[in-house]
Amino acid sequence: MCDLCMKHGAGGKWYLNAEHYSNRIAERYNLRDFLLEQYKNFEQISIRKFRGFNAVGLGYKLRMPIIGRIVKHTAEKLLHSTNPPTNPFRPEGHIGQVVPLEDAVAILETCAAEPIIEKNCMCRYMSRGIKEACCINFGVMSEIVDKLPRFIPEKDKYHLTRRQAVERFTEHNKKGYIGSIWFGPFPYINNLCSCASPECAGIRPRLDYGIKSIYKSEYIVDPDPDKCTGCRACVSVCQFKAIGYDHALKRITLDYKKCFGCGVCRHACKQEALFLKPRDEVHGLGKNY
Amino acid sequence: MTGKTSIKIDYSRCGDEVGVDPRSCGKCLRACDPAIFLLHETLGAVEENPFDPQKWRITPLWPDLCFRCMKCVESCPERAVSVRWKPAGGN
Ligand code: SF4
Ligand code: SF4
Repeated sequence: MCDLCMKHGAGGKWYLNAEHYSNRIAERYNLRDFLLEQYKNFEQISIRKFRGFNAVGLGYKLRMPIIGRIVKHTAEKLLHSTNPPTNPFRPEGHIGQVVPLEDAVAILETCAAEPIIEKNCMCRYMSRGIKEACCINFGVMSEIVDKLPRFIPEKDKYHLTRRQAVERFTEHNKKGYIGSIWFGPFPYINNLCSCASPECAGIRPRLDYGIKSIYKSEYIVDPDPDKCTGCRACVSVCQFKAIGYDHALKRITLDYKKCFGCGVCRHACKQEALFLKPRDEVHGLGKNY
Repeated sequence: MTGKTSIKIDYSRCGDEVGVDPRSCGKCLRACDPAIFLLHETLGAVEENPFDPQKWRITPLWPDLCFRCMKCVESCPERAVSVRWKPAGGN
């Protein structure tokens, strides 16, 4: 179990705790106003100054020995904050985790608050200028998107039933997009994304700068070497570059440290050689979230 | 990449004043493999009218991740993008 489950899972996974999806929580923290303000200005978060600097060229600062550590610490403190959110111009309490298809389906079937919508991915819009509907939102967040035309899909369906949401998510997952679920802000869960790297603003800080902006999933892939035929169909699907190839054995190899347990490689494997296992059960990886 | 990369967008060529809207062009955004650019509305425009922002621009957000492939420079029809770098250890 990751830190989030320990602290906020009520004995299970944090994202399967329906309490976090309730409108009651959104109202208690006055998140209607907060989220509207935040998403109105979403693309600007990186260019607004916080503690004297914004994120423009921050990568160079992150590489400096002392300043780098301070910046990283400040960013993590902000993202992991569990205080009542105060400033919509900062990503306070915005922390997420990778989820495989099965858990995403469980979220949609049992936890997600209605209305359920699918909006354009804001990361892909702000980094590629592309509007692609693949971000599933719940409850109060859905009502907020109603007011923000640039996030409303032109061609695809906007309001979804639970069944349709499951179908859409499955479609994205099979295409190779990474499922991720987010507190935004803590303790309210309202976003189930289908992400692509390097566009995803939630995954980039972790992969490029080692900032814990997203946790690895509760699972990890365990390849079955007897079933693997070495066709390599899974290799290019993995966005975390966790799958390699052993030329002598003619089998794929898994880098257990790199695997985020998104499970999308399974869709590419025709031999059913790739399985997800609970991360805790893989020796030596118990705490590697 | 060693050394420091400096990426600039000339807003007198890409922007409101010359009738170029980066939201409808966005060629550099799509050309860049490491996706280092950010498309956003300017801070001032939001204060004027948050619901209908007209003034959008592109900021090179993660120059440290640039491959120096020059695809952005080549893709820009307005010749607004420039990429320069200093070698490591240079001053
Ligand atoms: S190897 Fe791990 S990270 Fe890569 S696609 Fe498979 S589950 Fe995801
Ligand atoms: S030179 Fe290449 S990597 Fe660098 S910003 Fe331009 S397109 Fe991106």
